[in-house]
Amino acid sequence: MDYDLNEEQELLKKAAKGFLSKECKPLFVREMEENPHGITPELWQKMAELGWMGLIFPEEYGGIGGSYLDLMVLLVEMGYSCLPGPFFSTVILGGMTLMEAGNEEKKQKLLPGIAEGKIFVTLALTEAIAGYSPERIAVKAEKDADDFVINGTKLFVPDAHLANYIICVARTKEGENKEDGITLFLVDAKSQGVVITPLKTFAGDKLNEVVFNNVKVPKGNILGELDKGWPIVKKVLQKAAIAKCAEMVGGGQRALELAIEQVSEREQFGVKVGSFQAVQHHCANIVTYLDTSRLMTHQAAWRISEGLSCEREIAMTKAWVTDSCRSLVALAHQAVGGTGFMEEHDLQLYFRRTKAAGVYFGNADFHREALADVMGL
Amino acid sequence: MDFEFTKEEKALQEEVREFMKKESTPEMLKETEDMGDIYGGPEGRKIIQKMAAKGWLTPTWPKEYGGLGVSDVASYMIREEMGYHGLPFGFVAAHMAGPTILRFGSDEMKKKWLPRIASGELEFALGYTEPQAGSDLSALNLRAEDKGDYFLLNGNKLFNTSCHIADCHWLACRTDFDVAKHKGVSMMIVDLKSPGITISPLITMAGWQTNEVVYEDVRVPKENLVGEKNKGFYYLMAALDFERMFPLGRYHRVFDELVEYTKKTIVDGKTLSKDPLIRQKLAQLSTEIEVTRLLYYQLAHILDKGGIPNYQSSMEKTFATECAQRIVNVGMDILGLYGQIKEGSKWAQLKGKVEKFYRTSIVETIYAGTSEIQRNIIAQRGLGLPR
Repeated sequence: MDYDLNEEQELLKKAAKGFLSKECKPLFVREMEENPHGITPELWQKMAELGWMGLIFPEEYGGIGGSYLDLMVLLVEMGYSCLPGPFFSTVILGGMTLMEAGNEEKKQKLLPGIAEGKIFVTLALTEAIAGYSPERIAVKAEKDADDFVINGTKLFVPDAHLANYIICVARTKEGENKEDGITLFLVDAKSQGVVITPLKTFAGDKLNEVVFNNVKVPKGNILGELDKGWPIVKKVLQKAAIAKCAEMVGGGQRALELAIEQVSEREQFGVKVGSFQAVQHHCANIVTYLDTSRLMTHQAAWRISEGLSCEREIAMTKAWVTDSCRSLVALAHQAVGGTGFMEEHDLQLYFRRTKAAGVYFGNADFHREALADVMGL
Repeated sequence: MDFEFTKEEKALQEEVREFMKKESTPEMLKETEDMGDIYGGPEGRKIIQKMAAKGWLTPTWPKEYGGLGVSDVASYMIREEMGYHGLPFGFVAAHMAGPTILRFGSDEMKKKWLPRIASGELEFALGYTEPQAGSDLSALNLRAEDKGDYFLLNGNKLFNTSCHIADCHWLACRTDFDVAKHKGVSMMIVDLKSPGITISPLITMAGWQTNEVVYEDVRVPKENLVGEKNKGFYYLMAALDFERMFPLGRYHRVFDELVEYTKKTIVDGKTLSKDPLIRQKLAQLSTEIEVTRLLYYQLAHILDKGGIPNYQSSMEKTFATECAQRIVNVGMDILGLYGQIKEGSKWAQLKGKVEKFYRTSIVETIYAGTSEIQRNIIAQRGLGLPR
């Protein structure tokens, strides 16, 4: 057994931390919450130059050929700094779906562009009856000669406002088996009939309503096979779930630090607040939630990276990290006290983001139910 | 990174499991359960001595003292399996005293005691707690007077489990009353059959026995002093850093049996395992058991790297023992009215194990440092908050 990051991963972590502490300060995070784009081209380009967008792509597609575990290291730091912008949607939801399902031509066409920071891709999955099961996919794509025509509304589509391409998860066949009959379409975001409307969200994430109104997509733009899209979606969702866990772990680390800073400085009754056992026990619980979240995330990411069976670990991890990181930020608020309730204190950024992250790709109940299946209950 | 056992460790695990399944007897299982997993009963001694002959009781010790010189991960794995398979897993001599002797004892002491501990021949009883010294262990005041070639001991110990079945007392006593409390403590090995020792049983709500032990003019030879005089509190604390851990095995087993129970128990035309609330609860517990596993082997990993677990051992102990309580509480909820029925009735479910472990679990968050003390340690040593 070896619980440690390797040397390269430690270097990556250090470099990412250093970069983000300069380029993604809390003030910038707040600005980007108000900014309709959610990112500046300057920062995005710098990230591309560091090779982050191509980290997990093979070298022949302009990437670095890093592992999923390497990506996890980066995501922890992004969560620590509350990095705004479309990294998650473009690289993980878009890039990983293309890696899983794109043919050679599509990969050659898009992945190097993503790696260079020139192309944005997102995944349009959830709908009005929102959820992460195949029953919830109702947006239809119907065959029309050599094209497909998509109709319906996708909701909560991250960063669609920036996207050059939207991968639309659509129903192409109705039947008893809901997993069958789902197809992935690579849609040019400029296509006629695509209407994107931003949604105002409490954590500052740029989510959108995307209406497909008779949108024509050539059949050559199907990713993977017709009707066989769900297994791909499922794979991407699993990786995305653990990627979110990594962000939450990073955020949790910062929340812990903010709590410790405050209770180590503030005095009441003539002593440091951090000397009271009630406060110490809150802090002990915070670090327990954090350490266990980190261990679970590392294990799941390692299993994904190694190509080992991981359905069980992914369900456990997303459930555990979702609940734990929410609880830990709430406890951090309790430890920090009134100051932390102020907008200008950074803790509130994490309180909002952790809750949003917990909901993405299945909340704790969803994953416990998935785990119950794995357990044969 | 790597979260799995090595090929060798996996092979050892298989071998250990086979051995435990083959060698377990109903008598041993009952004795272990009745005594609270401590070592020293006649049935336990039979199986443990067979196991010890393979080096499995003290696998990390050097070969010359009866170990195998293998990794701490392997050692932790064996302890987990012992708990899971119903063998005694609470060892004072092999897992607490022995490592301290190995670290701080003289060569004579090592030669005299370690091989007999590694073989399972000797078990010690922990001699720390006194009526006024529980969480505040440094307040212990069982007096040991230096009489030249022996110490003369007088005083009381409380909740000293194992004394009625162990061979020796692993005793913390006060050798100096004139210095700071923690600077006047020494560790000694005392033969529990020494004249002047009176052991009185205290029966717990779990049905287990613990003891009150009275020392009246008990003579202990000088050679039984561990390490240096007045350094005992330091040894004791160091031992806790190395040895504080809680294998969840026993409660993990109950959980697995509970899961099987819900799969085959039909209520209102469907199995309990199809009830959405029960599914949520069991999935949550299964997740917590996995979290415990990671915390547990993290300690072994730190030791294998040559480090000393710091706040991590407090975290593992607290998480595991609190998890154990949640497991049996959910178990009692799932069994409902049946949960109350004790072993022996035809209506008892899972041999009454759930109610029994429901009772036993309450002490796990109290002994070996309460959850509150552990959280103090996590905050003060792990996070640097002021004492």
